[in-house]
Amino acid sequence: MLGLPEEFTADFIARLEQLRIKTRREYAGVGKGAHLSPRRGSSLEFSDFRHYSEGDDFRYIDWGLYGRTDKLYIKLFKEEEDLLTYIFIDASASMGYPERDRKFASAIAIALALAYVALAAGDRVMIRVLAGKGAMPPPAFVYGRHRIVELGKTLAGVKPGGELDLAAALARELISIRRAGKVFVISDFLMMPNAAERALGLFNAANMDVTAVQVLGGGELDGQGLNGDVEAVDAESGERVRLSMGPRERARYREALLRLSREIRVFCFRNGLHYALYTTDASFQDFFLRAASEFGLAH
Amino acid sequence: MSLFGWLGLLSPGALWAFAILPALLGAYLARERPRQATVSSVLALRALHVMRGQRFGGRPRLAWTFFLELLALAIAALATAGPYVLSRGAPIAVVLDNSAAMEALIPAGKTRFEAAVGAVDDALRESDGGAVTVYTTAPQPRALGAALDGAAAARAAIAHARPVDAPDDPAALATLLGQLNADGRLGRIIYAGYRPIAAPAPARFRQIAIADPIPNYAIGRFTLSRETFGAAELHASLTVANLSPAPATLKVALEGDGKPLGTEQAQAAAGATATLDFPRLPAANVYRAELAPADGFMLDNAAYATGSSVKPVALLFVSPTPADGASLAGIPGIAVTARTPDQYTPRDVAACDVAIFEYAAPKELPAVNALLVMPPPGDPVFGLSAAAAPHVEIANWPAVNPLTDGVNFRLLNIRSGEYFGVHPWLDPVVSGPGGGLLLSGVRGGHRYIVAGFNPFPYLGRGNLPMSILTLNLLSELAGLGAHAGGYRTGEAWIVPAGVTRIVTPAGDRAPVTAGALYTASAQGVYQLAGASGAPVLRAVNLSDLSVSDLQNAPPIAIAPAPRVAAPGGSAVHQPLAPYLLAAILGLIVFESLFVYRRRRAMA
Repeated sequence: MLGLPEEFTADFIARLEQLRIKTRREYAGVGKGAHLSPRRGSSLEFSDFRHYSEGDDFRYIDWGLYGRTDKLYIKLFKEEEDLLTYIFIDASASMGYPERDRKFASAIAIALALAYVALAAGDRVMIRVLAGKGAMPPPAFVYGRHRIVELGKTLAGVKPGGELDLAAALARELISIRRAGKVFVISDFLMMPNAAERALGLFNAANMDVTAVQVLGGGELDGQGLNGDVEAVDAESGERVRLSMGPRERARYREALLRLSREIRVFCFRNGLHYALYTTDASFQDFFLRAASEFGLAH
Repeated sequence: MSLFGWLGLLSPGALWAFAILPALLGAYLARERPRQATVSSVLALRALHVMRGQRFGGRPRLAWTFFLELLALAIAALATAGPYVLSRGAPIAVVLDNSAAMEALIPAGKTRFEAAVGAVDDALRESDGGAVTVYTTAPQPRALGAALDGAAAARAAIAHARPVDAPDDPAALATLLGQLNADGRLGRIIYAGYRPIAAPAPARFRQIAIADPIPNYAIGRFTLSRETFGAAELHASLTVANLSPAPATLKVALEGDGKPLGTEQAQAAAGATATLDFPRLPAANVYRAELAPADGFMLDNAAYATGSSVKPVALLFVSPTPADGASLAGIPGIAVTARTPDQYTPRDVAACDVAIFEYAAPKELPAVNALLVMPPPGDPVFGLSAAAAPHVEIANWPAVNPLTDGVNFRLLNIRSGEYFGVHPWLDPVVSGPGGGLLLSGVRGGHRYIVAGFNPFPYLGRGNLPMSILTLNLLSELAGLGAHAGGYRTGEAWIVPAGVTRIVTPAGDRAPVTAGALYTASAQGVYQLAGASGAPVLRAVNLSDLSVSDLQNAPPIAIAPAPRVAAPGGSAVHQPLAPYLLAAILGLIVFESLFVYRRRRAMA
């Protein structure tokens, strides 16, 4: 539909419009929006008092306080601004395997869904693709839900490839970010747990509200394609591991993958990060809507 | 196919077997090389990696043992091609005397033959690797197969050679050595035997003379005869010789079918012979004489004779008028079987001791002693030329002859008959003015007598000289009055009709064809067996005092022959297959030991 992934049905899009991104902190935006900003503004959310000064609007004088203190105070309210949303997609070669699992396509679908939620809420979205091949989306915020089509077309041309040091790549992106906001990192996180924690910890330390979205293939978890005597070649490093895979080995392999995933989840919980795991054998729409809270989305 | 001049292949086509090796290697790697699968990350697989090595298969085990096996296969493929190394050397001829005299023991405690084999072996070790042809001398000189590739093969062939009980043929041996001397290709001729080569020996000859004089006592002739014609008792006569430098008392013990029959002795001067008689011997199948004192040549210390003549003489009478044989049936100890010429077949002679053809002739030489009485003209077998005479006159007869012994030829009244012309191998015994009347000869080990008159009508009718002559004829043919020593080792006989196999003294069974020649090389008693009936026993003895004389070995004179050409090198194929197979076995054993030790270490 409109060049978007097939999961983006009209019904799904309607459901997405009911969602909005919820952050655990307040971030200053660049324009009027629906998110409370640390700036004083004209929202209904009381922020503070200050002494009246000449020229202030009489409508914000707290007359009750004047009656008790015989002094004029002006009520201050928080500003409501848009949210700067950063979506980082891991497009390294590992996202392309196993091919049947379509991990990268799922990652793009998640990114577009998140972007649509943000755009539909009037927020600004910047999608950055880490590694990969093809035409990359420009490093600029897009605004307005109609821009989702443009993003979809752009991301459709990206293919996974190459080796990625996620922490280093995110560190480079962090340098170019001027304002904090909501950050989504979509990756398979198939790396040593400390590397993933270092990558996610960068944004956390930069006062960003981070959501880690891990995408794993359904077949990848089951060790499909790894039967009998097989030489497993790492899609990124080219490292080769020779092994004999049987039911017992596949069970141990799945357990090892889930253990890696569990360590990332524990890290996220301990550091106040959102975490969501999507396995591609599950229905994308059901997963996205059901795990909205895990993404940091709210109705 | 020669590869580098010195290396070649007998079956180069077998090199196609090498094509198997890449296929095997490919199959091995295909089996061993695991399927490649690209995965997103091997992070979770690393933990499983430690399990490798504990499992069979999967991992490309390019271990050295695999290449060891591949090497063994490559060697096997090469071995099937029959690789050989070409070595060039002058051909060698080895003449090894294996005659009976080589069975004599020498002071060193081994036989002359064993000493000769050892000396030839030593001589061949010094050879330069040329082709070797091995000859033996007895019963007749012959080559032991084709030329052998190298000294090692020749030594192996010689190690399997055995001496025979037959004497050598000095003339044939001299001829062989002369031919070898004339062969310019030969680089060396090694002769090992008890006969020395007369000086001057040709330069290329290497003579290994095993001719130390050995004192010897020997039995020469051993004959049996009836005491009287038709009687069951036998008379044995032996000749013993003292072939030593000192006088000796020679003692002979005789036994029949294993039972002692008697002992006789005689004093013999050095180099002299004596005759010992054993009269009135009971009937036995086999008689064995043993000479004492024993000496280093055991072969001539024993002699054998068979008592088959004790049995009634089976006489086959072939005549257009078989009734003429009825008079023969009246002689004691004779069983007559009558046949007409139409009924006669060569197989009939298998069951008889003597065949008589009256007015008839066989279509082939009968394999039995035979008497032909006035054979019809134009007989192709004997080829006799006869001239009929209405009145026969006897002019000449020998004074001493078993056939004419006791016959008063002046009283012999023969009314009619025929004279025979000169015959190639039948000699006249009794003759008249027109030619021979009674011819005698030996052919193929059998005695044949041809009479130009018919004695049978006069038998037992008052014609005593004719009766005596008839009995003399039958005695000669039936062997009852034989003065010959029977069969000798190395001589060929015609296999009698009806005989299909011969059992040698050693017990070996040899299938034979009747009418073919058979050479008995071993001394002892042979059994001639046919499809039916009991086997016929035949004694074969050395009976050659010239062989028994181990003190005097006449030298062999080799005719000098000009060298045709300088001795050239001959290519000798030294096969490498045995070495390659040994290498394969070594590799397998090595790998087995390694695997065994590794498994033990793992256990």
